[in-house]
Amino acid sequence: MASDFDHESIAELQRKQPAFRGLDAGHMACPGCGQALGARLVTEAIGPDVIIANATGCLEVFTSAWPRSSWRVPWIHSLFENAPAVASGIEAALKVQGRPTKVVALGGDGGTFDIGLQALSGMLERNHNVLYVCFDNEAYMNTGVQRSSSTPHAAMTTTSPRGKQRMGKRHLKKDLLSIIGAHHIPYAATATVAYPSDLRAKVRRGLEIEGAAFVLVHSPCPLGWDHDGALSIEVARLAVQTGLFPLIEMERGTVVSAMHIRSVRPVVDYLKLQGRFRHLFEDAPEAREELQHLQQIANHNLELYALRSDQPEALDSESADTARRGGLRWS
Amino acid sequence: MQTLSRGSFAKAGSSIGFNTGDWRLVRPQHHHSEAPCADACPASENPQGYLAKAAEGDLRSAWEALVSANPMPAITGRVCHHPCETACNRGFYDQAIAIHSVERFLGDRAIAEGWDYPIQPPLPGAPEVAIVGAGPAGLSAAYHLVRHGYRTTVFEAQPEAGGLLRSALPPYRLPRTALDQELERLLATGIIFRPGARIGRDLLLDDLRQNFRAVFIAIGTGRARPWSVDGAEPGEHRSGIGLLQEWISIGALPGYKRVAIVGGGNTAIDLARVLKFNGVGEVHVITFQTLPAAGVSQADAMSAAPREICQAIDEGVTIHDQRGVRRLILRGDTVAGVEMVHMKELERPGGMRELIAFEGTETVLKVDQVIPAVGQEVDAVGFEGLISKSAFFAPDRFGRLTGHAGIFAGGDAARSGGTVSGAIGAGRRAALAIGSYIEGLDLPREDAGPPIGLSSLNLNYFDHAGRAEASIAAPEARSVVTEIEGSLTRDAFDTEVRRCFSCGECMSCDNCWTLCPDNSVLKAQSSGDGKWHYVFDYDHCKGCGICARECPVGFITMIDEP
Repeated sequence: MASDFDHESIAELQRKQPAFRGLDAGHMACPGCGQALGARLVTEAIGPDVIIANATGCLEVFTSAWPRSSWRVPWIHSLFENAPAVASGIEAALKVQGRPTKVVALGGDGGTFDIGLQALSGMLERNHNVLYVCFDNEAYMNTGVQRSSSTPHAAMTTTSPRGKQRMGKRHLKKDLLSIIGAHHIPYAATATVAYPSDLRAKVRRGLEIEGAAFVLVHSPCPLGWDHDGALSIEVARLAVQTGLFPLIEMERGTVVSAMHIRSVRPVVDYLKLQGRFRHLFEDAPEAREELQHLQQIANHNLELYALRSDQPEALDSESADTARRGGLRWS
Repeated sequence: MQTLSRGSFAKAGSSIGFNTGDWRLVRPQHHHSEAPCADACPASENPQGYLAKAAEGDLRSAWEALVSANPMPAITGRVCHHPCETACNRGFYDQAIAIHSVERFLGDRAIAEGWDYPIQPPLPGAPEVAIVGAGPAGLSAAYHLVRHGYRTTVFEAQPEAGGLLRSALPPYRLPRTALDQELERLLATGIIFRPGARIGRDLLLDDLRQNFRAVFIAIGTGRARPWSVDGAEPGEHRSGIGLLQEWISIGALPGYKRVAIVGGGNTAIDLARVLKFNGVGEVHVITFQTLPAAGVSQADAMSAAPREICQAIDEGVTIHDQRGVRRLILRGDTVAGVEMVHMKELERPGGMRELIAFEGTETVLKVDQVIPAVGQEVDAVGFEGLISKSAFFAPDRFGRLTGHAGIFAGGDAARSGGTVSGAIGAGRRAALAIGSYIEGLDLPREDAGPPIGLSSLNLNYFDHAGRAEASIAAPEARSVVTEIEGSLTRDAFDTEVRRCFSCGECMSCDNCWTLCPDNSVLKAQSSGDGKWHYVFDYDHCKGCGICARECPVGFITMIDEP
């Protein structure tokens, strides 16, 4: 198949893909990067009529290696903490001009959970018509895997190592969605790169709603999570199927839907694929305790969001994906 | 790449100019693997291939793909024991695809629509081949020879084509209309048919050798194997196959009340059911083989098709498995009963299997006749010299008989599996070998490798869905002349073909295209049929392997960078 195509016709083919692609090939993301995939899927769902404000982070760095850019849409990077403020300004200016162009802000968990949280809170409080998408890879990966407030409990990072006293990160993952929900914005959701149809539907819903919208996208990091790049989707899928990363939607701060899990998997299935949880499989009482702790967190999520399905749900319902001949399900 | 000095105005350029493909250590590659259904098919069909075409809604292409291997799908869709379904990967997930129902639907549709076989009649000067026997093996060889451009004449001793399909298969399994319509269309593809011509009576094998470039012998097994119990035979005893054939051709049966049939094959089961349908009070089948069930090996299980055995039991036939006849209880030469004993075939040192009777397990069954259905053998009249020690021809896999250049044999006469599909496959392979022999070429190699297993598929992308079952007439509503199993409706057919996992072959689901973080799986449209396929952009692919891991059908493998 591939031999029919030389370099020029490949370049031609890149331009003739049947769906809009907001992100070009040739970016510097690691092989198997969940965030690169997430950004691609999000920009595909948005379409070309958009202005993007990007916080500092992996996404900003790997898409803008000087003097080239991977972005095929207007894109601005200012500072780590101010992407929501920049987006708010762009939105206000467009409103004055009466232009319908959409405004989207992108950031990582560092820029969203920690550094840019007050700017984000301001944007949500003023209810700007902006969609904020956070790619959550659960640590500061760009600077070499330091813990963030999104890093899950017991995960190992360079600043939360397994030591004599602690089994990885001592604290819990910040419940950001509840903070977002407390702003009573029209729409907030969690999504993952493992379920692209669901991700696209949520991005589109966030854009359609008038006012501020927020989507948190779980994005595996093969480097920081220490798993093979080929497993990025598998790992992200298991995060959902174990209950550790519930896929939910919120309107005005109220949970309105959750993706059901038909067969719930034990958390060890998710944890054992990743080196950042390697120490939990040591033959030590504290390791067993932390494994159990994570299982109980998953159980708590299953109960809190009523994730267990009491009736069979088709995989190709809005929330998931069944392979179909001809690929019609993705569009 | 244009280089700019520090501080100069950066002209916008796309990152597509960075060839991140340099990073790669392994690369994805499209790789077709054979599906287990295709690997298991004795007739070399590729069900995965025609299910895919049917799922696209192109029934005619599906049928054409099917008849490129097996020219009589309306027949095999009804009578084949479908090992494809046993092998189907989906069977280990929820339920196997109902391949036999799909095959039958396509065969029936071709007859109803009058679709022509996708072959041209041979040219007038083409080499000529003789086929002896118009059963499944002979007709399959003839069809494939015509397909490859050879003129082919089929000699048949009986007045009509079909062989065992016509003489020994009861109409409730294979209605005569289906048989007649399929064979009539098949013979019209350019095959020359000479009925009423028996070798050794009407013409000689040497005549064929002189007048044809090659001869394919597919005469089947015309004679019941001799049977007795320690030399004792009941008076007026008849062979199972003889009784069955007589009933099928003239519709008459002796008036038995209680009968024991000895044997575990399709003939035994067919005859048992026919007797039951005709009002025989008690019909017993005695076999040393084991009733098929989960965990029973192929070697131990009854050789009759499990579906037929189940239906027979539903109809009131009693099956005594793992048992043999130790003694006939005769009063004069009239049968009063049989003494049965538990028996089983056990493996002996050296791999030979030996039938062992277990002392102390004898029971008596009161019957008024015993009918052996213990297999048939070749009636070798006219073919002396080609059969040596055993009662069968012994060719290689391609039907070639050692020491007899230009003579080929296959089907039941050469023990090609004892099934219709086995015979069809033997005919197809012999046609290949005959073509190579005539052209003086080597045989094309057949090395597909092992079929793709369930572990190579990504099952996260398949939903559970039950199999479409064709209607089965209730036991009390059955008769000898009405077909027991029905056809799928068009809706059920459409749903069923879409259940196929498409093992080892791309189904254009867009997974790789959707999930590549590097835009390096590109969609391309074929200029010919307008179908979409995928192309790897090796200038940018970093070799992460997500596409291979997430391919539901196992069509992408990662190989070391050359």
